[in-house]
Amino acid sequence: MSTDVAIPSCRGQGAGYLKRLGLSALWAIYLALASPAHADDRLNAIRARGVLVVGVKTDYPPFGMLTANAEHQGFEHDLAADLARRLGVQLRTVGVNTTNRLQVLDDGRADVTIATLGDTAERRQIATLIEPDYYSSGVSLMTRPDSPVERWSDLRGQTVCATQGSYFNRTMVQRDLLNLQLYANGRDAKLAVRDRRCVGWLFDNTAIEGDLLMSEWHGYRIALPPELVAQWAIAVARGESSATLARFVGDTVAQWHRDGTLLALERKWRLPPSSFLIQMHTLWSAKDLDGTYLCRRQADGQWPVACRNQIFVTSTNVTGLRRWGLWLNEKTGINLTYLYDDYERAAFLHGIALTLALTVCCVCGSLAAALVLVWLVHRGPRSIATAVRACASLARMTPPLLQMYVLFFGVGSIAAAHWGFRFNAFWVVVSVLSLYTGAGLMYALDQAACEARAADTDYVVDAHALTLLLAESSTAVRASLVNVAKATMMASAVAVPELLSVSTTIVAEHGNVGTMMNTLMIFFVVLIFCVLSLLQWAQRRAVHVRV
Amino acid sequence: MSGSDIPGLLLSWTPYLLGGFAWNIAISLAAMAIGTAAGYMLALGRASRHTYQQRTAILATALMRNVPTFVFQFYLVFMLPDTVPMPLGLGTVAFPSWLKASLALASAVAGLVSDNLGPVLDLEGSERHQALMRFALHWSNYLVIIVMASSTASVIGVSELVSRCNTVVNASGTTDMMLWVYLYAMAFFFTFCLCSTRLIGAISRHVSRREILDIASRRT
Repeated sequence: MSTDVAIPSCRGQGAGYLKRLGLSALWAIYLALASPAHADDRLNAIRARGVLVVGVKTDYPPFGMLTANAEHQGFEHDLAADLARRLGVQLRTVGVNTTNRLQVLDDGRADVTIATLGDTAERRQIATLIEPDYYSSGVSLMTRPDSPVERWSDLRGQTVCATQGSYFNRTMVQRDLLNLQLYANGRDAKLAVRDRRCVGWLFDNTAIEGDLLMSEWHGYRIALPPELVAQWAIAVARGESSATLARFVGDTVAQWHRDGTLLALERKWRLPPSSFLIQMHTLWSAKDLDGTYLCRRQADGQWPVACRNQIFVTSTNVTGLRRWGLWLNEKTGINLTYLYDDYERAAFLHGIALTLALTVCCVCGSLAAALVLVWLVHRGPRSIATAVRACASLARMTPPLLQMYVLFFGVGSIAAAHWGFRFNAFWVVVSVLSLYTGAGLMYALDQAACEARAADTDYVVDAHALTLLLAESSTAVRASLVNVAKATMMASAVAVPELLSVSTTIVAEHGNVGTMMNTLMIFFVVLIFCVLSLLQWAQRRAVHVRV
Repeated sequence: MSGSDIPGLLLSWTPYLLGGFAWNIAISLAAMAIGTAAGYMLALGRASRHTYQQRTAILATALMRNVPTFVFQFYLVFMLPDTVPMPLGLGTVAFPSWLKASLALASAVAGLVSDNLGPVLDLEGSERHQALMRFALHWSNYLVIIVMASSTASVIGVSELVSRCNTVVNASGTTDMMLWVYLYAMAFFFTFCLCSTRLIGAISRHVSRREILDIASRRT
């Protein structure tokens, strides 16, 4: 509209306009005053009608299932009943499924949904998901009683059974390098596990826990900690009318965490203790010095950041390093969790320390092993020399990875079974790599020593001779020691939590593959370069001192 | 399980394990082929008269020398796609894990070839021939090392010997088997390495004898 038309029309309707403005203002004041008592408020509506309607599942034992009389029961039904009791109203439950559990909130068929609902950003667009979350589930593996699987990395390249259409199949293949064998349904997949056609069945851990309660799967177990963990949230309809209901439900869930209601229900339904509930119990029960709960509603009605589901914390909610890290992730997709997340930073630093310790131990160990072996061969009796040469050949001509497996898993399991003695993975790696590299080095030094012996019959392998030998073969020595520094990452294969292990764990948690892999490569290239420079410096210095 | 079952069990799994070892050899040969080609290019680059090419080749060689293949393997598996689209809309070609393992190992081979082939290229005539023979022996020894290193492909899920050992342990469902299966696999590697190094040693002695004869015949 152009201004020359607008001004006269405004002037003409002036009186009516002002009147309307006054009425709207009054209406707004009325709404503001009346809103707690207004009939549109869901919580008041529930109290007025005396019935709380909750959507629960019927096909997910033990969370939501049917009794013999087709009545609803289960973990989540008990939660619904407690919610109704606290409201002082009757409970009515309606059965919902995965597709309609949020729809029933919008069309008013249910006030609340408690139906194994994972808390995701997409679902937060459709309904109000209550914080705190009340349970969590992830992907785990059901295995036979005799299965030796202990870690996710044990599964790399192994055949794993899975159910077609599970949303996590693709992600798990990418993150854990699994070889999936897909079955049309969970039943067939479980039978395949029983018949040893695969290592185990990849599925939601809470569903597997339900199966393990059945006598058919007696002795079967969940071998691995859940990955791709999603927390479960209670949902109410979106919008202002449900705000008080949402607040009430949130306060109730917080109370359930504090007073152990959820832990007791978990025991009642014979679920194995979940670390999530234990952590939440500790978090929500924590009090500050004046005796109030640390996790209490702030002025804006929100919970403190530390008490919230970390997935939904954005850079605007936090300060300091964490804010910077989240901001970078939101802007560029580079997720440096190992810098801004306290827990992961600690693990990452520990990984770096362990990697450096491994490198130093292996480099020194290799050098020491080589010198001891050469000394034994040339100074020991003939029988010992022969035995040492044979052992060194064996160490030199078999892959160190296999040697580690033999020592750690093979000999280690026998030692544990017969003498109750457990090998330390770190020292297994150090001794295997030192012996492997030491044997290779000894081979080079031994040849030089033998040549020297042939030229000079009085030649004796003593400390002075060993130093000379090392100086003569300095290039070979340096190459071998750099190689052992490169090989220390093999420690991840026997579960030493060095940097590679830590990085693959972080990738499994956050899926920030690119960031972690680039960090890892840069770190190791720099590390190897430093080792090389240090060795060159040490050798130059040794030559200098001798001159 | 009683101890007497173990030899029988190992025997019954032998064809499967041998198939795994064939993969180790295949991965290693692919790594040597790719690495040698890349290393040759680098050696040529280092001998180039263009400063830019020379510097790039030197830097690339240093990088190849210093990249730890074990981590590089993880890097390639996580970062490279599983299929590669063909040009001209010819569909896609699979990019399997074993090839990524080969690529990772090839980086070390390229560093070695670039370092050792460069000086040989400068030589001429019979000296060059002899240097090439020595390089070939060095190269063969490195193949043996690479075959042993190819066992690390098991950690990224390539179905080679070590990985198949884990499958056997899982399938037999007893941890007692573990030690024997791994020792059996070690015997595969040991036999291969021993035979190869003996063979290479024999050839190298033969070559050096011929060199001496050549020199002697030239003198007379």
